[in-house]
Amino acid sequence: MRAAAYPAFALTAFQSRLVYRNQVWASAFGDLVSIFARIAIWTAAFAGATQVDGITLPEMVTYSVLAWPLLYWDFSRVLYDVGGAVQTGDVAVFLLKPIHYPSYLLSTHFGHFAFECVTIVVPVALIVGFTVGLLPPASLFHGLMFFAYWAVSWLTLFALACLCGLLAFWLLTAFSLEWFLMAIMSLFSGAVVPLWFLPAPLAALFGYLPFAWVSYYPSAVYLGKLDPAATWLHLGIGLVWLGLLSAATLALWAKARTRLVVQGG
Amino acid sequence: MAIIAASGVEKIFRQPKRQAGLGGAIRGLFSREFTEVRAVDGISFAIEPGEAVGYLGPNGAGKSTMIKMMTGILVPSSGTVEVLGREPHTNRLTNAAEIGVVFGQRSQLWWDLPVRDSFDLNRHIYDVPAPRFAENLARLTAMLDMEGYVDRPVRQLSLGQRMRAEIAMALLHDPKILFLDEPTIGLDVVAKDTVRKFLAEVNRDRGTTIILTTHDLVDIEQICPRLIMVDDGKLLFDGELKHLRQTLGSRRRLKLEFGTDPGPITLQTAALVTDEGLAKHFLLENEQTSILDVLTELGSGHDLTDIKLEEPNIEEVIRTFYQNKPALAGARP
Repeated sequence: MRAAAYPAFALTAFQSRLVYRNQVWASAFGDLVSIFARIAIWTAAFAGATQVDGITLPEMVTYSVLAWPLLYWDFSRVLYDVGGAVQTGDVAVFLLKPIHYPSYLLSTHFGHFAFECVTIVVPVALIVGFTVGLLPPASLFHGLMFFAYWAVSWLTLFALACLCGLLAFWLLTAFSLEWFLMAIMSLFSGAVVPLWFLPAPLAALFGYLPFAWVSYYPSAVYLGKLDPAATWLHLGIGLVWLGLLSAATLALWAKARTRLVVQGG
Repeated sequence: MAIIAASGVEKIFRQPKRQAGLGGAIRGLFSREFTEVRAVDGISFAIEPGEAVGYLGPNGAGKSTMIKMMTGILVPSSGTVEVLGREPHTNRLTNAAEIGVVFGQRSQLWWDLPVRDSFDLNRHIYDVPAPRFAENLARLTAMLDMEGYVDRPVRQLSLGQRMRAEIAMALLHDPKILFLDEPTIGLDVVAKDTVRKFLAEVNRDRGTTIILTTHDLVDIEQICPRLIMVDDGKLLFDGELKHLRQTLGSRRRLKLEFGTDPGPITLQTAALVTDEGLAKHFLLENEQTSILDVLTELGSGHDLTDIKLEEPNIEEVIRTFYQNKPALAGARP
């Protein structure tokens, strides 16, 4: 395996995005609008109350802003990448090279994500921070752990998107899967409504599913809603889920390879 | 030792049967019937290092499927394929490092980036040492006349330019075997000619083994001394192009033109094909027959104004071959 190729893929993806500068403006504007919409909804929902179930409005605002880079990075790109490559038969091109396709996907999409972080996430976060105001992390520990959780979150969502994309080998389309994954993530990850506002049995159930590590746990850690012991414990559980999802992705890839039907000649 | 060996290779695709109409589509969601398509049917051949082989057949003959099995993308349903002494699909990564592949209908270049960036990415993928990469890049750029556009983004290139870049990219890591699936498809005459001359040169000077599928017979004529013909997934012919011509293509055409219509003419040495009165077309069945033989038999006394002898072109040879396929199926040299 040629390890140097993978950083090169990430860099290439990053560079290829520089070509479409207008896309950056459109995305940044769209993200700003949707963030302000969510802030407005929570402000209205709190209706002047200082706390709801022990959560303050500034905490809720920070939570919904954090949910956005965690969940709403362009993970459908992964799905379309895999699904499209299968549908057009372009996946053949990757199989002709001495590269591992899932690793190729990982590095390429990390390149895209890095690009979006630099050009969209950071500027938009600054704008929201200076206009509406964001809370700092609950402590230095929670702040540092947030980055560890962010890494788990990103890799988990990447693995989920990959899994759905790979199902296209059997279903031969990724588009319906995108809606499926989007719907599941919005509810189960706690990105729209945090688990602490859900009925207890539902919250307990969702709290053990891997989706919660994509959005809920990283934000909850940032806000200090988990004590250090619980933070370490949940990081461990998140890593176990990530391991399982990665193993499932690799197994599905191995199976897909032998079942592969290269379409379109 | 053969660099590529195929033995009794079969590939069967299972395709879901689609029933017509909305009702059929809904029924298809619940119960699926499958039809089996035998894309490659018991093909065996061996290719030696340094050969250039044309893999020829009509649409749907199983050419691309065979290429995909040799490159390790598809798994044969039965039989064995060995490339460089290995089974390609179980050793995909090792195999991929030693072969180069060009698909005429799929691009391997990064659409938004300059050609040079795609090349550089390939340097990392194949782990080509920097000096050798620089040397290969310079040589390929010059040979394929790419100086003018290596720094332009791929999306701005013409098809001919892009195809040359695709071929260069497949050769940057000095592969032992180069597979080309319809490399000249859609190119204009000049671009086709550049590509053909280049491929013949790579085969001759670098000793790179070339396997090429095509519809275009000129590709084969100019690049590949050896021809493998397939149809319906079956092997029809495997041998030298000139051998195919000799066995099937010896029927030269003779056209005799007269000042006044001599009436019907029957000859021993040539068979009349069409009679237009003043112009008569014959086929010379025998390789040894010369014009002199025909003229001697024809004798004097006809108002003969012109004689034209035409060598059969390869298209005609192949057309004859496919038309007579049932009779010739067993006639492998």
